[in-house]
Amino acid sequence: MSTKVTINRLATGVPGLDEVLGGGLPEFSFNLIAGPPGCGKTTLAHQMMFALATPERPALFFTVLGEPPLKMLRYQQQFDFFDNEAINQSIRYINLADDTLAGDLDEVLRRIVSEVEAHSPSLVFVDSFRSVVLASQTQHNPNNNLPQFVQQLGMLMTTWQATTFLIGEYFTETDTNPIFTVADGLIWLRQSVERNSMVRKMEIMKMRGQPTLPGLHTFRIASSGIKVFAPAPLNPVETPMTLPVQRLKMGVPRLDEMLGGGLPRGYSLLVAGPSGSGKSILAATFLAEGARNGETGVIAVFEQRPNHSQNATLADLILCGKVGLVDSRAPDLSIDEIVQLLLSEISRLSATRVVIDSLSGFELALAPTFRADFRESLSRMVTALTRAGVSVLMTSELEDRYTDLRFSPYGTAFLTDAIIVQRYIEVRSRLLRIMAVVKVRASAHCDELRQYHINDDGLQIGEMLVDQEGLLGGRPTTRRTGDPDV
Amino acid sequence: MSTQSEESRQIVASLAHRVGPTADIAGIAQAIMSILQDMDAALTPIIGQQGCVALLRRSLHLSASKHARLAGVHDRVQAAPDRAELKALLLEQSEADALFFGEELLTTFYALLTTLIGPSLTARLLRDVWAPSLSDTPSQEKSP
Repeated sequence: MSTKVTINRLATGVPGLDEVLGGGLPEFSFNLIAGPPGCGKTTLAHQMMFALATPERPALFFTVLGEPPLKMLRYQQQFDFFDNEAINQSIRYINLADDTLAGDLDEVLRRIVSEVEAHSPSLVFVDSFRSVVLASQTQHNPNNNLPQFVQQLGMLMTTWQATTFLIGEYFTETDTNPIFTVADGLIWLRQSVERNSMVRKMEIMKMRGQPTLPGLHTFRIASSGIKVFAPAPLNPVETPMTLPVQRLKMGVPRLDEMLGGGLPRGYSLLVAGPSGSGKSILAATFLAEGARNGETGVIAVFEQRPNHSQNATLADLILCGKVGLVDSRAPDLSIDEIVQLLLSEISRLSATRVVIDSLSGFELALAPTFRADFRESLSRMVTALTRAGVSVLMTSELEDRYTDLRFSPYGTAFLTDAIIVQRYIEVRSRLLRIMAVVKVRASAHCDELRQYHINDDGLQIGEMLVDQEGLLGGRPTTRRTGDPDV
Repeated sequence: MSTQSEESRQIVASLAHRVGPTADIAGIAQAIMSILQDMDAALTPIIGQQGCVALLRRSLHLSASKHARLAGVHDRVQAAPDRAELKALLLEQSEADALFFGEELLTTFYALLTTLIGPSLTARLLRDVWAPSLSDTPSQEKSP
């Protein structure tokens, strides 16, 4: 048996935060929540406080010169986690404004310590700590030694077995602030504004003894409180492929044989084609075929006017719960938020088929700040989904450029395991549609360009147009057989 | 009956209980001041002394502007809104006026806090102020 100390990790009650922290909040740690005004520091503190405080081990919330407590109570009450019954039971607010105004840090420390000794809290919050610092600086009192104050506070709180949060407005993380050194944890909140879009991001800059998830993690503040979108956990062991490879039926007659017997389970398929070529119909048929075989699916739509309501089959499947709908109209989406929405629907329905309709709409739905990394984001999403063991069909709007044989405007074709491309061609004053299977990884597939049309039953795949050539150029010519010179 | 007036009724009852059956002006003033003190004691740790003073001033302003008969009170208290001044002022009133002023002031204070932090949290924070009077003697004990 190990005789080393075990650091308990507290569940913060903030969805996603425990993952980002690397397993929860270390008990008795001394932390700083920092960030510019309005970034959600006080809300984060309250949400954790309401989740963790108990009547036996209450929380003390010291309000200093920051937000007036009356207002804080007024606004924090709007959140679902705020429980009036907890006030003065498991949660005590203590106003230190007068002590701080006097500028005497020793007195502030004495007040904090005496309250902590009286209530034996498990959690202590000081909001805002920056005002303590500023108040001390206005005094020309040599005894007001901030580093010493912070060091003593940190030591005393830990000794009294309290997990402590100092909440402060700091604008740059390069400040040489004694708190940054003493603190065990630094949670930095930010707001990234680009044009009319605002995205909240959180970074755990430091958390002693914990494997935190590096980088910026997006979060939202809703009426339920803060929700952090932690990246999907990477399962190091990929689900081994079952042999022989299982193949999914697409639901479109003759398409399965073009794919070499159906779409291998766990594959990602990109359906690229111009507007009106039937990509969404193909996607809906894919889900309907799954439902017919007892599988469930999830569809994420990113259109301004989602056409799932126009597709009766799909609407029925959604209504009867065989297909989950992810239709986030929330502005400024992040990739992690979408992945999380998808994964939670997938696990709720034990879904095996996933449709993203379309990547073009998805790109528009993302906050501008993420668009620069769209390819990277897409790659992460595809990886997260295929690691979850589902088969993914993504549609992608393909502008018809007949001189250019590209399958996706994002240079993302390499990300997917299979590609179907759809094209318009002009033959005898008619606009015809053709499609081909371009790629099915590690599988034989058909190389034919097949004509197809769309009727009430969906896509109907026909024959090759053998008497035409130059189809991919969009303006095929009739082939003159027996005249090789022309 | 709305919740608001139910709370007002409790406040009036609580005041009546503290005043007791033999109400002279000193007793009335003392009772009003003691309730204010209890409210202070409940709220100061949370919202600070300055927060409490601000709430009291606003309550005085609101109740004085609502009732013409309190207009004179308003001017004097605005000039020097301290507790001793308030008590001195109460002592100058007739018993009926002082009681009316007290009821008005306390219910306004309560209503003001309610508009800021909501009915349930207000009730929670000030529960102990009314608790003793509500638990034992009912409001029938009101002085004749």
